[in-house]
Amino acid sequence: MPETATISTIPAQALQALRRIVGETSVLSAHEQVLVYECDGFVIEKNTPDCVVFPETTEHVVAIVKLCNEYKIPFVPRGAGTSLAGGCLPVGGGVMIALTRMRGIHDVNLRDHYAVVGPGTVNVHLTQHLKGTGFHYAPDPSSQGACTIGGNVATNSGGPHTLKYGVTVNHVLGAEVVLPDGEVVQFGGYTEDNPGFDLTGLFVGSEGTFGVCTKVIVRLTRDPVAYRTMLGVFETVEDATQAISGIIGAGIVPAALELMDQGIIEAVEPAFHFGFPLDAGAVLLIEVDGLEVAVDGEAAQIVELCEQNNAREVRKADSPQQRDLLWKCRKKAFGAIGRLSPSYCTQDGVVPRTKLPEILKFITEASARHDIRIVNVFHAGDGNIHPILLFDERDAEQVKRVLLASDEILNRCIELGGSVTGEHGIGVEKINFMNKLFTEADLETMEAVRIAFNPTGLCSPQKMLPTAGACGMEHIEKSHPARRAAL
Amino acid sequence: MTTTESSDEFTPTTSDEARDFLAENSAGAGRAIFPVGGRTALHYGYAPTQPGFAFSTLRLNRTIDYPARDMTITVEAGIRMDELTEILKAEGQRLPIDVPQSSRATLGGVLATNTSGPRRFGFGTMRDYLIGITSIDAAGKTFSAGGRVVKNVAGYDLCKLMIGSLGTLAVITQVTLKVIPQPEMSQLLWCAAADWQAVEVALENLLTSATRPVALEVLNAAAAHEIAAEARLDLPSSGPILCIGFEGAARETEWQAETMSVELEAAGICDVAVVADAESLWFALTDFATSSDEPLTFQANLRPSRLVEFSELATSAGVSLAAHAGNGIVIGHLPDEVTTLDAAVELLSPLQALAHEADGNLVIFDCDESWKQTIPVFGQARQDRALMQRIKQQLDPRDILNPGRVFTKNAMSAAQ
Repeated sequence: MPETATISTIPAQALQALRRIVGETSVLSAHEQVLVYECDGFVIEKNTPDCVVFPETTEHVVAIVKLCNEYKIPFVPRGAGTSLAGGCLPVGGGVMIALTRMRGIHDVNLRDHYAVVGPGTVNVHLTQHLKGTGFHYAPDPSSQGACTIGGNVATNSGGPHTLKYGVTVNHVLGAEVVLPDGEVVQFGGYTEDNPGFDLTGLFVGSEGTFGVCTKVIVRLTRDPVAYRTMLGVFETVEDATQAISGIIGAGIVPAALELMDQGIIEAVEPAFHFGFPLDAGAVLLIEVDGLEVAVDGEAAQIVELCEQNNAREVRKADSPQQRDLLWKCRKKAFGAIGRLSPSYCTQDGVVPRTKLPEILKFITEASARHDIRIVNVFHAGDGNIHPILLFDERDAEQVKRVLLASDEILNRCIELGGSVTGEHGIGVEKINFMNKLFTEADLETMEAVRIAFNPTGLCSPQKMLPTAGACGMEHIEKSHPARRAAL
Repeated sequence: MTTTESSDEFTPTTSDEARDFLAENSAGAGRAIFPVGGRTALHYGYAPTQPGFAFSTLRLNRTIDYPARDMTITVEAGIRMDELTEILKAEGQRLPIDVPQSSRATLGGVLATNTSGPRRFGFGTMRDYLIGITSIDAAGKTFSAGGRVVKNVAGYDLCKLMIGSLGTLAVITQVTLKVIPQPEMSQLLWCAAADWQAVEVALENLLTSATRPVALEVLNAAAAHEIAAEARLDLPSSGPILCIGFEGAARETEWQAETMSVELEAAGICDVAVVADAESLWFALTDFATSSDEPLTFQANLRPSRLVEFSELATSAGVSLAAHAGNGIVIGHLPDEVTTLDAAVELLSPLQALAHEADGNLVIFDCDESWKQTIPVFGQARQDRALMQRIKQQLDPRDILNPGRVFTKNAMSAAQ
């Protein structure tokens, strides 16, 4: 068991020292200032940090981390705060290291197909920067207009195009990291197959518990020459999921294969006016990309498979404008949910692809059982579901039912041979599922690895592993009653 | 591996048996354990520093679950690569990792050594396909990470940690892989370049090619000669050769081969042979990494833009080499004339210096064990080495698994 972080309010001299490191205006500590940082996209649990610091250089981060060690103050890195599992919730307070000012695109090397970016770089800014070069950065989470690449690294983010191109870890060549004791190391690098353990691969997805990422070397991918983007319209979700099964089973790997059900279409259509049929049970957004010579053949095969599975029609997005609008509808679907309810909770389960019909049926039943409206928009090709539970967070009773329904859905994902998170992470939200997914021995080994990186547990305490600093619970219970309720 | 040749060997038939053996060993004498699969890569790393048990995974070779429509497969790690290939082929699927000596090599060994080949340019390496893993640590504790679904971020990704760990952290017993469809067609272009400058121009042009190759190999004359002979093909091998692979639907593959020929011609490479029946050539390209009795085999990893410069220098020193040019990886065999350590050091020094200067490294795959006292097997020290040692210490505190293979005194002194 590692030494547990002392969770307390930050001493005045530590605060002064932080101001000396990054400058007076780069530290927020007034309650109304830090309130903004009380949660990420997972709104069910909240807690304010004692202060938020905005480093601009690796040296700043080193000094901050060393200071936190000196005073035994927990610290947690944060990007844009778009994560959905409480990954950057400052459990028990402490210092939040906001990396949004470290957003430079330091180097783009097309010949060696990499770019070096600061962790605070907004995902879409890199894509925009690369426009016209013939290359792009493949991971494109729906929040790419706001989320940072450092945050993507922390959570191993996915997105609609991961089906063909893979998730963040498949596109990170290396990272500069300030370890929890303040040492700076570089994992991986500008070349492949570096000798030793793949610490880059291990670091990606470690949710801020292995240190603070200060630089990322990402792999750049050549742009596809051609796209064919289609919209399959189905009477029922069942038919749509059977079509997905048919497409994957036929050995076609589309660039993206996304499902939106009637509930989400009802929110998206009035917001973006794409022309989605409001009476359809579900639509499939399907994209194939590659060479001009190849895409028509694949598209024709997909149309045929949709029709075999009772598609009412398959529309083609013929112009780039139509394609852009279609993707905008998909990626901004979450933003449109405000039209349906005051609060929502997006779940993130995974099942083997052939089990999609089964899990969607279960979601419908859970929705009825708990009287919570659930709509669906998700990465169907990967079997990665995102049921969105609609509720009003001011109503404690509803919150309880949302948590119950979520738990049932995720438990069912496990029973079907899947996982409780495909891309959002464990954070604090899913810590209680870890011992359902993993044995005690699995968790012990993960804990052993965490100790190698983060022996004091000061870096992002109470995340990812149920064992992580569990003996500090009394501090958390005192400072954070909502957390106690959730646990 | 000299030290274990005279040692005891244990070949469990079930993972429970494997676990019990390791637990008993740990509770008792705590003798060294050397995990082995097909024994094709036992020369990697430093020689073991203690005698112990060879721990063979060969009988852990069952298929646990193959839900083909989910495009995943769960198998035990001792399965031979050729057998895995056959199982997948029956469902029109494959694991697109090229493995030398695939009739002998096991999946667990391929993971432990992070083996790859020409097609890594188009399809990546094991880290892109391994989605779940079960291993047994030195104390006999079975642990898993990942799962059986293609997208999963629950828990630390110990899959990545185990890949390339050379059996120093745990014995891999069971594996879940994501697989992909078989291509309808596979072709290779064999392109003879006038000189290295022409190769460089062609590689730069490839950045804007209308095609999307899945393999991009550069061979010097010595390697080209050997590979063509191995593939039983009559192909030119007088100068540097570019060998470019395409796979996919038939129309797509043929279109790319034609388009590439035209593009190469525009860049001054006119001598292009399309190898339509490419199987034996893929095989020869892959097996080049281990096909020799030469005195020393290395892998250099470089930024791709420095690859031609490195290849030219190595060629002038008599090295036979094949490179995954798009990935910046060069596999080289030293010539037979290099019979002494001094000669090897003299030949390698400028190559190591260039690799380091190009942000890369030069790793020794195979050479006389005594040479490893002098030549740094894992190349230049990296600053994350201390952290790697802390991980090793956490997972195998008594240094039972493959002692000395990676973390030796020699390696440390070489590192300084």
